[in-house]
Amino acid sequence: MSKGKQISYSRALSELEKIIGEIESEETDLDLLSEKVKRAAQLIKYCRTRLRSTEDEVKKALSEIGEEAESAGTSEEESNGY
Amino acid sequence: MGIASQIGYNVLHMEKKSSERAYFTLLELNTVIKSAIGDIFPEPCWVAAEIAELKCNQKGHCYLELIEKEGERAAAQIKATIWAYEYRKLGHKFEKAAGQALKAGMRVLLFVDVTFHEVYGLSLNIKDIDPAYTMGEMAKKKKEVIDRLRKEGIMELNKSLPLPLVPQRAAVISSRTAAGYGDFFQQLDNNPYGYKFSHVLFPAIMQGQEAERSLICALDEIRKKKELFDVIVIIRGGGSVIDLNCFDGYEIASHAARFPLPVITGIGHEKDDTVVDMVAHTKLKTPTAVAEFLISGLRSYEERVMDVFDRLRRRAERMLKDERHKFDSLTRSASYIPLRISAVHMNRLSVIHSDLESRASRRLVREEHRTAAIEQAIKHLDPANVLKRGYSITRHKGKVLRSAASLKKWAVIETKLLNGEITSIVQDRKEAVKSEQGKTDILLPGLE
Repeated sequence: MSKGKQISYSRALSELEKIIGEIESEETDLDLLSEKVKRAAQLIKYCRTRLRSTEDEVKKALSEIGEEAESAGTSEEESNGY
Repeated sequence: MGIASQIGYNVLHMEKKSSERAYFTLLELNTVIKSAIGDIFPEPCWVAAEIAELKCNQKGHCYLELIEKEGERAAAQIKATIWAYEYRKLGHKFEKAAGQALKAGMRVLLFVDVTFHEVYGLSLNIKDIDPAYTMGEMAKKKKEVIDRLRKEGIMELNKSLPLPLVPQRAAVISSRTAAGYGDFFQQLDNNPYGYKFSHVLFPAIMQGQEAERSLICALDEIRKKKELFDVIVIIRGGGSVIDLNCFDGYEIASHAARFPLPVITGIGHEKDDTVVDMVAHTKLKTPTAVAEFLISGLRSYEERVMDVFDRLRRRAERMLKDERHKFDSLTRSASYIPLRISAVHMNRLSVIHSDLESRASRRLVREEHRTAAIEQAIKHLDPANVLKRGYSITRHKGKVLRSAASLKKWAVIETKLLNGEITSIVQDRKEAVKSEQGKTDILLPGLE
């Protein structure tokens, strides 16, 4: 999955659930099965990796916002102990 | 003049001024006022008012501006003071009972001495404060805010938003110096599953008069970039006695309720929920609990993914096993087919087979004997062996002679013996009787 064109968590999960549904309900032949298992494994790996990484683009955008927010907020923050 | 005579004041100056007009000096006037007020309010009394302003100076004296409003307009206003000595005692007592410090906007019931100072004028010297009144007022105010939010139908608005499937990106409203904020991101970043969160702090003042405005500013800031976040987290460090009043205001509650992302609170208090807590999507007790909540969101997603993985693996394994079984039983049944079709035949076949076998073995034995016999025969038939036994081979012109008939007198014949050969000349010959020919020509073992 290329950067910036990531599929959403919900799409990944629904595709996974679709695959498992098909495999569990239908008579999937062995060739198709291996294809589906491969795709599912890819999706699972993608999801688990993504849970453990922050997207660079978002991270960058977020840190910029953070700086903006900080510079805007520092003066107000001084007296604030809580 | 009337007042002056009423209060029995000896007004000397009024008779003697050159302008012919009677008057007080300012000091005289203020002295009269002071005395009058002292007469009217000989004892302290209770007065209910709203604090419009509150300032403490370096000496620890506390100066207040008290007000009574009619709508937004001030209908009455007066200065008040709590002297440092009293303030240390009263302030602490009030904070402990009401759960918050005296501050502007607060309605208070005060036990006051009405005093008039010749220089500083009229002022109320605060001797005591009744926290129960303030608490009651706050509860009333809070109830009004809640009623208004209910009437507007936004009390449950934020709760109706779906929780994000994976709450990995959090916009955090807190104060950088708040202990709770540190707890929050440490808990989040050191989660045992290794999940990575994006959390950005939008600093805000979390207590006091400016807090509500500051919180609303932070919300507005986040709203501009809402697509970058999954949730909003409002957290504040727990402490002993903290002021939560800013979370009960209508404006902040309304903003939070209407926010397009789920708001999760961890304001850190044990008493009643604030109004912001009440309108929030999810209300939690502490910042740490908020971090745990977010972590559990990721965990639950991963569990769903891993559930698919487990089901997939089981299914694939079963399918492969099934296929293998199918294949195995197929090959097995394929080998059974002739048997099943003709068990009888097979029986017979096996009989035949064993019959064949025994026959074959018998035959083999026989053949072996035969082979041996033939070998023997061949051995015996070898000319060398024949020669050994004393026979000889006679040739005429290279051809083996079987009959004397073709030979003429003086023909040269060669005879091969076991050892060596001889060449002879025919002198005489006799033809054998026909019936005896076989005997002389065919030499077979055993004939000897």
